[in-house]
Amino acid sequence: MKQHKHDLDISSNQGVENVPMQERRQFLKMGLAITGIFAGGTIFSAVSVIDRVFASTDEFTAKYPYKPHYGMILFQNRCIDCERCIEACSETNHVPHEGYRTRILMKEMPDAVGLKREFTPVLCNHCNIPQCTRVCPTKATYKNSENGIVMMNISKCIGCLTCQLGCPYNARYFNEEKHAVDKCNFCFDTRLSKGEKLTACAATCPTGCRVFGDLSDKSGDLYKAVHQLERPIWVLRPEAGTRPNVFYTKDVLPVSFK
Amino acid sequence: MKKYLSITAITLFTAMPIVAAENQGGEIFYTKEVKTVLFSHKLHVEKRELSCDLCHARNFEMKALKAQEKLDFNMKSLMEGKYCGTCHNGTMAFASNTRCADCHTGVKRGGV
Repeated sequence: MKQHKHDLDISSNQGVENVPMQERRQFLKMGLAITGIFAGGTIFSAVSVIDRVFASTDEFTAKYPYKPHYGMILFQNRCIDCERCIEACSETNHVPHEGYRTRILMKEMPDAVGLKREFTPVLCNHCNIPQCTRVCPTKATYKNSENGIVMMNISKCIGCLTCQLGCPYNARYFNEEKHAVDKCNFCFDTRLSKGEKLTACAATCPTGCRVFGDLSDKSGDLYKAVHQLERPIWVLRPEAGTRPNVFYTKDVLPVSFK
Repeated sequence: MKKYLSITAITLFTAMPIVAAENQGGEIFYTKEVKTVLFSHKLHVEKRELSCDLCHARNFEMKALKAQEKLDFNMKSLMEGKYCGTCHNGTMAFASNTRCADCHTGVKRGGV
């Protein structure tokens, strides 16, 4: 086929919205999205859409920089908002009533077909590219170089609350008693460092909504739940670009009870 | 739609009286094994037009929250066709292992 030649410097960008439907479809089939330049009837810029399908390409295909690389996957349809996780978390980590380390969001659709209510448990996403640690002026919050948990060094915190502004997940609260910002640390100080395998929330969940584990452990439940194609996997606010280690999914088949 | 029709038909054939709206037990929030499971009499009696005996003759005593005192009042039993699972089996009404949050209304919805 004869290739058309275009001089990009001369052609003006006709805009992504003017790309013909047929051409757009072909690109989507190839797993590409048109991003930038469309000139002279030819597309000059397209990127892979694999990021939209998977939570994050790197996480999906490859290596985990920490050992263990702690993470969690939440089966959204299993959450029934019994708030046992919140109770267990508050008790284990002495969370004051005005703050939270985990909470449950609710969405209701009275006109929906079938299920009309949905709960989404949220917690610190322990991002691979955390914004909170980036903006902290005193390095009071940092990503642990061994296990990837985003932690707080209470003694360094000056209470400027910049980290709260930086966090896209609203996962931080100010602890008046400690006079420092506090957050979920996957129960590292209260449970994991004492030999427990699960966080308080994951251990207490009656429905198995929260699966906690080591993402780098190929025989683990978490690894198996994240690295598969049968269920969709997503993360919250992917546009923030923080590469969360907390994933979400839903059961495709009905829930099974033990 | 079909199943509701058939349920209505059963009700009519057996000529069960439909209890007046003000005397139907109200809304019951179960607290065991987990909090805030809602049973709405309004939904079952008024909207679905089910007879009292459909549940109260077999699975549930007339006194509210009696069922949750039993040790096997859990989702596993429901899946085996006990309690709510007698009807919530996928044929009469949606199965007990689907649509969790329809009955588990959550703490935020004002349950105990």
